[in-house]
Amino acid sequence: MVTYIARRLIQGFIVLLAVSMICFFIFRYMGDPVITMAGRYATFQEREEVRRIFGLDQPMYVQYGRFLWNAAHGNFGKSYVSRVPALGLIMERFPATFELALFAVCLAFSTGVGLGVLVSLKPYALRNRLIMAGSLGGISIPTFLTGILLIMIFAVYGGLLPSFGRGETVQVGFWRTGLLTLDGIQHLILPALTLASYQLAVLLRLTRAGMREVMTQEYIKTAWSKGLPPRKVIFKHALRNVMIPVVTIAGLQFGEILAFSIVTETIYQWPGMGNLLLVSIYENDQPVIVTYIMLASVIIISLNIVVDILYAVLNPKIRYA
Amino acid sequence: MKKLFLIALTAALMLVAGQVMAQTSIVVAQDDPPRMMNPHGDDSDAGLQYFANFFDGLLQRKGSEGTLAPALAERWERLDALSWKFWLRKGVKFHNGNPFTAADVKFTFERLSNPEVSEFVNTGKSIDKIDILDDYTVVIKTKDPIPWFANNMHQIFIMDKEDTESRDPGNVMVRPVGTGAYKFVEWVKGSYVKMEANENYWEGAPPIKKVEIRPITESSTRFAALVSGQVDMVTGVPVELYDKIAANPKVRVVSRPARRSIFLALGNKPGTPMADIRVRKAMYMAINEDEIIEKVMRGHAAPAAQIPDPPTIGYRDDLKRMPYDPEGAKKLLKEAGYANGFEVTLSGPNDRYIQDEQIVEAAAKYLAKVGIKVKLDVKPKSIFFPEVAEGKLEFYLIGWFDGTFDMGRTYFKLAHTRDKEKGYGELNGANYSNAELDKMLESTADIIDIQKREKVLQDLNKMAMVDLIVWIPLHYQVDLYAVLKDRGIKFEPRPDRWMIYKEISK
Repeated sequence: MVTYIARRLIQGFIVLLAVSMICFFIFRYMGDPVITMAGRYATFQEREEVRRIFGLDQPMYVQYGRFLWNAAHGNFGKSYVSRVPALGLIMERFPATFELALFAVCLAFSTGVGLGVLVSLKPYALRNRLIMAGSLGGISIPTFLTGILLIMIFAVYGGLLPSFGRGETVQVGFWRTGLLTLDGIQHLILPALTLASYQLAVLLRLTRAGMREVMTQEYIKTAWSKGLPPRKVIFKHALRNVMIPVVTIAGLQFGEILAFSIVTETIYQWPGMGNLLLVSIYENDQPVIVTYIMLASVIIISLNIVVDILYAVLNPKIRYA
Repeated sequence: MKKLFLIALTAALMLVAGQVMAQTSIVVAQDDPPRMMNPHGDDSDAGLQYFANFFDGLLQRKGSEGTLAPALAERWERLDALSWKFWLRKGVKFHNGNPFTAADVKFTFERLSNPEVSEFVNTGKSIDKIDILDDYTVVIKTKDPIPWFANNMHQIFIMDKEDTESRDPGNVMVRPVGTGAYKFVEWVKGSYVKMEANENYWEGAPPIKKVEIRPITESSTRFAALVSGQVDMVTGVPVELYDKIAANPKVRVVSRPARRSIFLALGNKPGTPMADIRVRKAMYMAINEDEIIEKVMRGHAAPAAQIPDPPTIGYRDDLKRMPYDPEGAKKLLKEAGYANGFEVTLSGPNDRYIQDEQIVEAAAKYLAKVGIKVKLDVKPKSIFFPEVAEGKLEFYLIGWFDGTFDMGRTYFKLAHTRDKEKGYGELNGANYSNAELDKMLESTADIIDIQKREKVLQDLNKMAMVDLIVWIPLHYQVDLYAVLKDRGIKFEPRPDRWMIYKEISK
């Protein structure tokens, strides 16, 4: 197990290096940041001076080497646009994204698995068929449309829920949370629902398929014939075996939501990392983009490792060499 | 009975309190989020409009015409071609209580030339020295004659020397301390900027006491926030949504002709078709601007016959657009020896101006009708503008308005032959060059008399638009805002699109 984790960590490190190199070089070709940094009315000489001061006149490999060296020391450079450290800028947005992602995944997981089990017990009942049809919608309707529809229904016509932002937030140490106020939670509902809709549908379908397969197994028949109560048969004997792929997917999805909830955050003007990324791409703020992608890779790689470990906990049959 | 009276009293008080609150606070959804709170670090109008609420310049632009007016300087004078004297206002205090003096002015102008904190490097570097005559008089001497120097003083915001030097540079980037009409309360990036009235403001306390700005970049979300009553007004109504928003009974749409003109810039490299004035004329005549305004801009634009807008020095009201005449264009092309047309690449940004990509596409179609084969080259502004700066293009769409309200600076930037030594023509992206125009333009810099200078700039404008056709002008954009009717907001848009909250009342 320990060697396995060590190996995964080394792999992760190599992936990170590759990611940093690719995005560093790609975004250098996205346009020249000096034009805006020097100001609209700068002369040719003034532009060159700005280029020198920010080290952008040096060859690419020198710039990349310096970037790696600084990154190894926890310094990801300053944003070209707001002129403050890029990592700080992103971390400031992290709580908002994390709370949204956590809420969305909890919602998707509990509802998705719950409905999945329910549907699998009587697959041909009309209600369950409707649920399945609805899940198709969840998978195929794009996030931005779900978002706009929810805003139209609940905010514009219904006037029930706020349509943008985080609402009232409370600063607890370095963490700015919206979970402690009613207003904050109201603001969380629509974006979380939008973000969860796709994940929910996937988890539902996955659980249902798994349950239908497992319910025909011999050991389930044995459990029934032993006279065990349905609760025990369904949740202890059947669902536990179905959970392995479901947890894997849910874990990976959490990473994805955390790293790439860009569309949802933009529609709801959610002040998270995805929103920042989009603005940074728009303004060609390379240090922030590169740092963001590095951070997203770290999140996804570590979640992958965590999911692998959870595997072993959920199913003792799985052993790592 | 007593109890009933108490209840009634409380209710009445709450009602009054509620009204006072409603009268004095405003929530606005703006389409452009602030990038920083360092007043010299962002020279875009999107950024300057935030700084202008917290800080003051030596001068300011007032109201719907953008008239230059005194602010931290009570009056000013151009002593000679290079020197500018400012008499400063006495008794002004920064938000932290420090008095405003000439030392702060000197500190501010010296700070401009440091690229780590400033995008006004050009203004900073153009200054030779700053003399403090006494605490309330300064003379600024520039290296070269800059006729529009004072015209730009509404964009340079004065910082407190003592406070700025004592704070960590990172803190200066996020927490503004100025002399402005509003004090900074809180900025949560991506969420809101909150500010409160400066009761000791030298111009008198502003009528609205609390302002909350919500940056919402997505236009449909901004609209939803307005219609559901979460914000009182929004800036930046997209033309696609205009009809829908105007049809909503709760909403009032406020529109104002913008200062920015949109135009096509053409190169004139010797030997290319566009070096021939007949070809330039033909291209001008081939474009159906009325149809662009009607179909692409959905009516929200005004035709332009020149680059400057009416309040700008150099504007002439006798210039008229050449009429749309595809037959005449074909005839001119034939005369010039291009009866079968020629090939040209038309470039443009796709995320900078209202409907920019669609305008470029429309122009290409009109030119195709007279036989000119246009290759389209549309790309994001982050790639497009560096190409303009490098002078790599031959024919492109761009928009412009000059913050100084003076065409001189713009002409040096866009029309003068590219000259690295003198620092001219940095944004002359198609390498346009005309010696006569250059000479006339250079002569304007030394003219101190304002009327005389205006006359020369007007002649220059006519020469560029009629005789040389340096550019094909298209239209002026229109700025659109939407306000909830029942909030009773009195708001008049400014020509520069800045949201200046001391000018808004309820």
